[in-house]
Amino acid sequence: MKKILFTFLSFIIALSTVNAQKGINYFRKAGVGGKMLMSVDSSAKNLFCWNIFSNQPHTSFNFLPDVHNASVEIYFRKVDSPQHYRYTILENNKPLVVNKPIDLAQLKDANAGDEEVFRAATFGIVPIKDKIITIITYDIQKPQDVYKTVFYGKPIPRAKIQGFSKRFKTDLGVDYSWISHPKDRTKLTFTEKDDELTIIKDKSDVDYLYYISIKENKTGEIIFESTAWQYGGISEEHQFLPYVAFDKSIFKKSGDYEIIIQPRIKWEGCRDCDLSVKDREKYITRHTLSITLNEESYTKKELLIYTFAVALSIGLIFLIILYFNKKRNKRKLAEKEQQKNIAKLELNSIRSQLNPHFLFNALSGIQNLMNKNEIDNANKYLSKFARLTRNVLDDKELISLSQEKTLLDDYLQMEQLRFGFKYEIDHSEDLDLDIIEIPSMLLQPFVENAVKHGIAKKATDGKVTITMMKQANDLVLTVTDNGNGFDTKKKYMGLGLALSDGRIALLNSIYRKNRFTLAIESTTIGTNISLTLTDWL
Amino acid sequence: MRAILIDDEISNLENLRSLLEKHCPQVTIIATAQNVSDAVDAIEKYSPDLVFLDIQMGDQTGFDVLRQLLTRNFDIIFVTAYDHYGIQAVKFAALDYLLKPIDIDELLNAVNKAEEKLATQIQTSQLDFLLQQLKKPETNVSKIALQMQSEIRYVTLSEIIRCEADNTYTHFFLSGDEKILVSKSLKEYADLLRPKGFLRTHQSHLVNPKYVKSWLKEDGGILLLISGEKIPVSKPNKDTVKQALQQL
Repeated sequence: MKKILFTFLSFIIALSTVNAQKGINYFRKAGVGGKMLMSVDSSAKNLFCWNIFSNQPHTSFNFLPDVHNASVEIYFRKVDSPQHYRYTILENNKPLVVNKPIDLAQLKDANAGDEEVFRAATFGIVPIKDKIITIITYDIQKPQDVYKTVFYGKPIPRAKIQGFSKRFKTDLGVDYSWISHPKDRTKLTFTEKDDELTIIKDKSDVDYLYYISIKENKTGEIIFESTAWQYGGISEEHQFLPYVAFDKSIFKKSGDYEIIIQPRIKWEGCRDCDLSVKDREKYITRHTLSITLNEESYTKKELLIYTFAVALSIGLIFLIILYFNKKRNKRKLAEKEQQKNIAKLELNSIRSQLNPHFLFNALSGIQNLMNKNEIDNANKYLSKFARLTRNVLDDKELISLSQEKTLLDDYLQMEQLRFGFKYEIDHSEDLDLDIIEIPSMLLQPFVENAVKHGIAKKATDGKVTITMMKQANDLVLTVTDNGNGFDTKKKYMGLGLALSDGRIALLNSIYRKNRFTLAIESTTIGTNISLTLTDWL
Repeated sequence: MRAILIDDEISNLENLRSLLEKHCPQVTIIATAQNVSDAVDAIEKYSPDLVFLDIQMGDQTGFDVLRQLLTRNFDIIFVTAYDHYGIQAVKFAALDYLLKPIDIDELLNAVNKAEEKLATQIQTSQLDFLLQQLKKPETNVSKIALQMQSEIRYVTLSEIIRCEADNTYTHFFLSGDEKILVSKSLKEYADLLRPKGFLRTHQSHLVNPKYVKSWLKEDGGILLLISGEKIPVSKPNKDTVKQALQQL
């Protein structure tokens, strides 16, 4: 027994010596899956060990790009039966050892950190560099549970997209359209009929290693991820190619998407790994999909945002319209007010235009009285003249009918002094002259016209009649003369009448509720002017 | 002097008559008329020395009387209550006028002037000038009658370089180095010529902007005329003169 032990020890030492000679110092150990531990040189780096796959039971993948040789040991628990285990070692898929039982003589107790004591046996030194070593073990009592441990000493092959297929509905069912061997970028359009997209990868021995993800470029969001490679239907050189199929609904919007196919290796948190992102990129396949959707679909959040934005803009537009409307109305109102004011001003200026020709002639008439020594008359007319000018200068908008009557009396008497005609001012009994008001100087221009163009030449034969009458709710004012008349169609009516037309228009624009209507009737035996103030009383 | 009074209003005729009888014994009223045709008849019948003519006569004007006359060898004094355009034309023709109610001093002055005038041809030519001016729209008036000691000069406005006051007289400086003395104040001409674009630069200076060469800043502002004369601009007129020159 001692001899055996000695032999074993010396074997190990001899091995160590051999290894030392090769410059290998088996210093670090790493779990590699399948009950196995691996010892590598202490300087070995980038050990991406024990990568396992949810869809590939009992498989562990070790990516060892920098390891030249490794010593592999298998550890059995107390409950295991090492005598039932068989192992096969493949180098680049070619068997080196096939179905060999564990050398039970080699088994020795080992402590694996815990208190539990294992029994370990070695598979010897395995060359890794530029090789793919696969160790397959199984218990002959459970031949289905095959454990596979892969030592990958080569660069992991970059996956290749062999093609796309788009499924669409037809009358009979579905059909596919194909794009094979795409370059870096593929344009795809999804219509209503299209429903599914299939991405086909090239075949490799380690398909399970890869996973596919799709990223939306705009948001950087991963919208799809799968390791579920399927086989069947699509083949190349009598081999089924792995593919992944998914519904088009993962694409919510038109735009660019990136397909990323990469090995599922824990790049981070591994032992002594310092593979840069750039280095890792060597193992990653990227492909851009330019998607055009005939029907964009939106997430709830987006819909909410869009709805909100639309509602907001509609609201805003509404507000703007409201604002401008208000502004315009305000301006219109202001304009109206202004127009009214202007009209009032104009009316004022027209009103105060008591014909200067009349004024100075009237004064001349008074001068005549003075020169004729008719002092009493001169006084009388001078005070009439004063009262008349005062009334005119008095910028009252409205005066009572009796005031207007006085004004006309004064005016007509002054004119009488010049032309010596007769006049009358009548009013109907039911008219309260002191209470009813009319715009001041309303009748004067018509009366002046009657005097000037009607009866000035007729002297004492001339007659002017003014009436104020109530007709229902209307106030009707008339000025009649027995002059030679004038052609109502001709616009030549003297200053007074020409202004009157404008005045009536102005009055109508100021007193909107009451309509002023002017009727002129002129014949060779006289002129009758009738001014109706509708609904005035 | 044998005079005819023309006015459409009887009281005005009465008034003028009583004023003349009282204050102007040298005037004999030989007829009165209250409308245009009567007036024409009366003038042609009596050949008066002097006519008092109302401008505004109902629908017609005193000018209509003048237009209908074949000969106008009488002196004339216009009478008007208020007629801006008519008076303006009368002024341009350097004719006399009275405003109603009649101022006795003005009446005496006008009658005296008429009495002094012996050369009635002057009056005739002035009336022709007046009627010509009346044919044109107000803005087209381009000539003015200037009453000199013994003649009437009709001067186109563009001929006038400038006017300068000399008490109640006014010197007219015309192109061609001519200088005329007129027995009316500068104010009257300023009133007439300012609407025609003339600039009142100073109390005693009225300038035709056509003849202004430049604005000199010395002494607070002086106008240099093309003729080389320097016309002072008084302070209150500075801004308006400047503005007017800029608009040219």
